[in-house]
Amino acid sequence: MTRLLPRSRGDRLRWGLVLVLFVFVAVIPPLAGLYENLNPDASARFQIFLGTSALVLALWAISYNLMLGYTGMVSFAHAAYYGVGAYTVALLFKRYNVPVIVGLAAAPFVAAVVGLITGLVAQRAVRLYFSLLTLAISQLLFSLVYQSYDITGGDNGASITLPDQLTDYTTLYYFTAVVVGVCLLLMFILVRSPLGAALLSIRENRQRASAIGINVKVYELAVYTIASVFAGVAGGLFIFYQQQAYPEMLYWTANAQPVVVSLMGGTNTFLGPAIGAFIYVVLENAISKHFPYQFDIILGAIVLGVVLAVPGGVSDLPTVFARLRERFHRAEEAEAPVESAGEAIRMFDVRKALASEAIQAEEVHSGKTLLSIEHLSKRFGGLRAVEDVSLEVKQGDRHAIIGPNGAGKSTLFNLLTGQLKPTSGKVIFDGRDITGKPPHVIARTGIGRAFQITTIFPKLTVRQNLQYAMLAHGGYTVRPFGFANRMFRAEAQELAEAVGLGAWADLPAGQLSHGDQRAIEIAISLALGSKLVLLDEPTAGMSSYETDKAMELVRRLATERHLTLLFCEHDMSVVFSTARTVTVMHQGRVLTAGTPEQIRHNPDVQKVYLGELEQEELGA
Amino acid sequence: MTPGQLLLFAVGGLANAAYLFIVAAGLSLVFGALRVINMAHGSLYMIAAFVTVVIANQIGAELGFWAGLLVAVAVTGAIGGIVEILVLRRVYGREHLVQLLGTYAVSLVIAGGVRIVFGANYRTVVSPIPGHIDVGGYSYASYSLFMIAAAILIAIGVWAMLYRTNLGRNIRAAVADPDLLNATGVDVTRLYTTVFVIGAGLAGLGGAIVAPSQAISSSIDTDVLVLAFAISVIGGLGSIVGSGIGALIVGMVISFGLVIPATNPYALAFVFIIMTAVLIVRPRGLFGRPES
Repeated sequence: MTRLLPRSRGDRLRWGLVLVLFVFVAVIPPLAGLYENLNPDASARFQIFLGTSALVLALWAISYNLMLGYTGMVSFAHAAYYGVGAYTVALLFKRYNVPVIVGLAAAPFVAAVVGLITGLVAQRAVRLYFSLLTLAISQLLFSLVYQSYDITGGDNGASITLPDQLTDYTTLYYFTAVVVGVCLLLMFILVRSPLGAALLSIRENRQRASAIGINVKVYELAVYTIASVFAGVAGGLFIFYQQQAYPEMLYWTANAQPVVVSLMGGTNTFLGPAIGAFIYVVLENAISKHFPYQFDIILGAIVLGVVLAVPGGVSDLPTVFARLRERFHRAEEAEAPVESAGEAIRMFDVRKALASEAIQAEEVHSGKTLLSIEHLSKRFGGLRAVEDVSLEVKQGDRHAIIGPNGAGKSTLFNLLTGQLKPTSGKVIFDGRDITGKPPHVIARTGIGRAFQITTIFPKLTVRQNLQYAMLAHGGYTVRPFGFANRMFRAEAQELAEAVGLGAWADLPAGQLSHGDQRAIEIAISLALGSKLVLLDEPTAGMSSYETDKAMELVRRLATERHLTLLFCEHDMSVVFSTARTVTVMHQGRVLTAGTPEQIRHNPDVQKVYLGELEQEELGA
Repeated sequence: MTPGQLLLFAVGGLANAAYLFIVAAGLSLVFGALRVINMAHGSLYMIAAFVTVVIANQIGAELGFWAGLLVAVAVTGAIGGIVEILVLRRVYGREHLVQLLGTYAVSLVIAGGVRIVFGANYRTVVSPIPGHIDVGGYSYASYSLFMIAAAILIAIGVWAMLYRTNLGRNIRAAVADPDLLNATGVDVTRLYTTVFVIGAGLAGLGGAIVAPSQAISSSIDTDVLVLAFAISVIGGLGSIVGSGIGALIVGMVISFGLVIPATNPYALAFVFIIMTAVLIVRPRGLFGRPES
């Protein structure tokens, strides 16, 4: 199984496990037959029935994990689409005499429609409130099915009769295995695709995802609907081996099953939930045979154990064991959180950066206005954070915005890149009105941004951070096929080397030191091929040496690749060495603008900074 | 519908709102201060209901109920403390998902435990406040009126706790900015335990008070939890006033929904339609504040 997150060791082991799982699934019926021959009490039919249920549970759980593990969404409505799939087969059969095979083919479409419509509603809220909204949707669908006695049969459920070809339990098992296999293959292609990359980036960091041009809500709706499609298939298969659909299938607590199964198997692997499904079915059967009431407690204990001790589930056990062994042997080379220790800055390679094709290199016509801000204002209640700001950024310019704390610099940036909507005023970029547009739209028009607080994808590798930015910028993330990690690989490596991160390209970005994460932040904003790069205190937290190196790179890139820079910065040496134009903000307004030389000698500016100095001395 | 009937159903709705408010207020208080959705909240309610019923039936309805109520609240508060110390402390600051799953696991353990200790059968207890009050040709159960009065008292008590005590001031500060509160020297760890114990105690109080008015079974945990979620979401998670308004809406919808023939089967569905509608218009509920 492919890991979401790369790890150097164990890949071969993982593919070996996939093979073992595949063979295991293939030989369950003959094994069950053998078991029956050896034990007169045992029933092969029952063992194969369990196998079938594990396969369906695996499909259901993996479809849930598309949201849970890949996108970071918790839905309480997923069981409802599973139920919808089962009822589609049952009701088509009962009311319209539609063959169950046709019903099974229809189930994903019905589930998709229900999933899309309810998903649109659930999308109105985010994170926790999204989860609670799916809870309401789930209960709504449940009561509709439960109470519409005339149509669904209410709490009696709805039953089907299988065609003769499928009544043999071994045939049904293999039929289920093939359908589940095809669905898993489709989902596997999806999670490796650029679309899957977009989902991962949403899970990792919603703000960064939209700042590289990903429309978070649309992708979330897409994965929600896709997950419902496969839940619908799983529900359809459920009724094949159970021959009955129950309203309880839709009840919100039914979601516990795929969640627990995904958790046990590991949410950050593709096939983890499948392994979890087999463990779950075996456990449930073994425990509830002897202790009918204890199963809940044991399940609860397992979930607690997974949540508190093994966040990665069974698939992560090798890592946990390895860590324990390391601790036992007091190994020196324990996982180092800061592997790079700020080395990147020393290794900035301007030549490589200049050669990188990821960074835009269009000819510019100096003197043309690229960004124009007209009378922009933002009020928070009574506070005027930005008041009537007008300024122009010329193409190819390096424009600094300075001002004391609270001058409104970061608010202005947030207004430009769509994190905040202006109260009034206009923003025109490259001839387009981008006032109040959402961040992903603004990112796609060609504005890259480095945030003041480092905003990267911490669990993705350095290279993936850059690759995904390039994928999003190129508009590839709509593709549900192809292998995202192989796209823009060379370009991303080149850019990583240019900012001195080449040696750490395969490390999770979050493991790098602060300074190096700043370098990734800047590299992402460059990777977007943007015409305008916004840097919000690019060197915050860097040493003076690191600052010099980083700004040298930025300067040379800007000059030779014709980038237009708009940045704010507290470090005056950075401002005066880099900027060609300086705008001074004070209390939300533009105080003055001009060349660095003019600003340096402007008495008002001195007063503003001096005033702040005096206040600081007074302890205010 | 005659005015008399209207009053009858309105009182029924108020009685629903009463116990739902007590439960939802606990859920909301815990969320406000700890930013954790407690999936085991309904389980604590269920434990309290069973404890009350068992003790009341042992000792005798009148005295036994009050003894059961006290024991139930003490037991749920204690379980809440244990859960906070053993589980929640380890998941603060992690994703909502981890917190949901951690408390969900606790609810599974409690559900299994309740089934072992109390069995799967329905249990009932006679009302400690028997009798009716007749108004305009309809009679009202005295116990319903007691539930309404109790909820009002608890609402006042929670308000006084939040706005008239040091503890309440610290809780409100924790809602606003836990880091800053920690920096001022308040023991936030202990504060969180206290808040969670109070929240668990409110769940227990709700369960104890509801026991004489309903049949108690081992499935009431999820039934009440989903209603408490609906109430908290309608009112806005973390807002006690919101819990009150939400409980009134949900209590009335259930009461009137059940007696109007056309809507009878879908009374609960209406609760979730309202919940959905509120979240669409106000994604943080009627009184919810945006997360910082």
